[in-house]
Amino acid sequence: MQDKQAHGQLVRWLVPLAIIAFCALAIVISTTFERMPPILKRGIQPSDFPQLVAGLIILLALLSIWREPVRLTERLGPATWGTFVLMAVFVALVPVDFFLALGVFAAGLAFLWGERRPSLLATVGVMVPVLVFFLFDLAFEIRFPRGLLTNLWYG
Amino acid sequence: MDPFLSGLTALADPGLITLLIAATLGGVVIGALPGLNATTGAALLLPFTLTMEPVAAIATLTAIYCSATFAGAITAILINTPGTSASATTCLDGYPLALRGEAGRALGMAVVASTFGGIFSIVCLMIAAPLLARAAYNFAPPEYFALTVFGLSMLATIGDGSPIKNLIAGALGVLLATIGVDLLTSVERFTFGMPELYEGISFVPVMIGVFGISELLVQATNLHLERKQITMKAIKLPSRDDYRRVWKAILRSSGIGTFIGTLPAEGATVASMIGYNEAKRWSKTPEEFGKGAIEGIAGSEAANNSATGGAMVPTLALGIPGSPTAAVILAGLMVHGLRPGPAMFTEQANFAFAIFWSMMFVNLLFLAIGLYGAKIFARVTLVPVPVLWPCVFVFSIVGAYALDQSMFDVWVALGAGIIGYFMRLFGFSVVPLAIGLILGGMLEERLGQSMVMLDEQWWLMATRPLTLFFLILTVLALFGPSLWGALFKQRAPMKSTGE
Repeated sequence: MQDKQAHGQLVRWLVPLAIIAFCALAIVISTTFERMPPILKRGIQPSDFPQLVAGLIILLALLSIWREPVRLTERLGPATWGTFVLMAVFVALVPVDFFLALGVFAAGLAFLWGERRPSLLATVGVMVPVLVFFLFDLAFEIRFPRGLLTNLWYG
Repeated sequence: MDPFLSGLTALADPGLITLLIAATLGGVVIGALPGLNATTGAALLLPFTLTMEPVAAIATLTAIYCSATFAGAITAILINTPGTSASATTCLDGYPLALRGEAGRALGMAVVASTFGGIFSIVCLMIAAPLLARAAYNFAPPEYFALTVFGLSMLATIGDGSPIKNLIAGALGVLLATIGVDLLTSVERFTFGMPELYEGISFVPVMIGVFGISELLVQATNLHLERKQITMKAIKLPSRDDYRRVWKAILRSSGIGTFIGTLPAEGATVASMIGYNEAKRWSKTPEEFGKGAIEGIAGSEAANNSATGGAMVPTLALGIPGSPTAAVILAGLMVHGLRPGPAMFTEQANFAFAIFWSMMFVNLLFLAIGLYGAKIFARVTLVPVPVLWPCVFVFSIVGAYALDQSMFDVWVALGAGIIGYFMRLFGFSVVPLAIGLILGGMLEERLGQSMVMLDEQWWLMATRPLTLFFLILTVLALFGPSLWGALFKQRAPMKSTGE
């Protein structure tokens, strides 16, 4: 119970503070933007608007700690963590082949989420990416990045 | 030729008709699938429309908008799970009716009320949008700036009622819109030397990420949910007695929905809630609500579908999205090089009316689809979640890539999806982020123009009546609910003491 309360307090402060840090960084970076001479600045300096918006977000984030504390609505379950791992696998496989990465992700996700029928796993992991590839390649004339499998089609 | 009629001639194109039929069927499937909604569907299909002519592209997106909003009722009635959040109130009476073996009657009423609401709002759209555009034609940059600020302030009221979090999300979207080379001064901002960021962050991958990929991650936590579908013999048209009971509710909700839809950022969900509550308030038998009142379905469905036409009024006439899906459509307009606003009704009036007529056609089409095909479409709710969402991911990623054939956009979509998921996990809505990103560039441009016009004396904005009017509306939108709440809280104990 105490653990839960401590966690709630951590989230209440951590999220707004992360937002504030992000905006503070944006303001710092914006101070490095080139400044225009008055005749060319067209009303406002390029750094003015981002600083105004980031300042407003900081104000709202501070207000949220008091008025609308941030709470974790749901805890991440094993399926969510597994999905993140599969996304990492997807990112790692993209340099090998875009569609191979998509197929592995799709079949992996279906399996992770409880699908065990081989025909459906094959449909999701093979048929769907292949159909989408040909739809975009032939109908929309989209060229995909070359890779292990796409080279078989592109030559 | 008059734009009103020349817009109608667009429907003489068999290609467009075929496309609208396909988009309507697709929209019904999207709306009927729990977890997918009109916004996600439009965001996922936006890349498919890039190779189309602008009329076909935007008509496709609006067809998905209208039909998916209607189709949410199918799952709401048959499996007690709203296909879209706008159909949440339809569950309250639709499912109890279905449990009593009257699923066909409930769906029949949903189809009729949705069609009436949709057509009513499109007639209003045809009349109101050009009038609004004409009124806005003489707006100068300060008026536009104040109007855009008002549009953004309305973000506070969307979602689950966390105004500050909504405003933070909206402002973050506006901040993201500042990334890239400033068009007025050619100064690089937040580009970190990456050429991919020179033109800023593209709307489409962000939309795909926050609406599609983040929803996939949300679905990962809902895998335990079991959906049982109630069997339905055939859909039934409402009886004469039903019509007698609901016609006032349908008419009232259509008006409410159209009005709510025209408010910036407010969409079908709010409309359906108010439509349902008003149907209950004016009903002779309010005690039946929640137990299978046919007026409840009529009130909710007429309101949510009429909000679709209403939402297109500010989207097309002012360039301010009337709902989350309208924001995706607005992004579609921009991607096709069209600039929504008053000029659209003078320079591209034929285009605008072609879109209106397409929406009218779609509403009639889903009347037919709803009456004859709802039973078939109800079966799509049985598609297993582990099969559906991997397919959504494939479409999302390929769609993000297809925009500019750039892997950078894929990483943006993936990143936006993960950020969007964590935002939702911490109680932030992703809709304001998307709308902020779309309106951010416009807001800065208008602020700059206003400052030039007012000799950098920003306080002079308050001396312009219309600008002041929009700024007062903004203050009311931001602080009105709190003030109202404080007043209500003060009066409540007095009332209880008196009793």
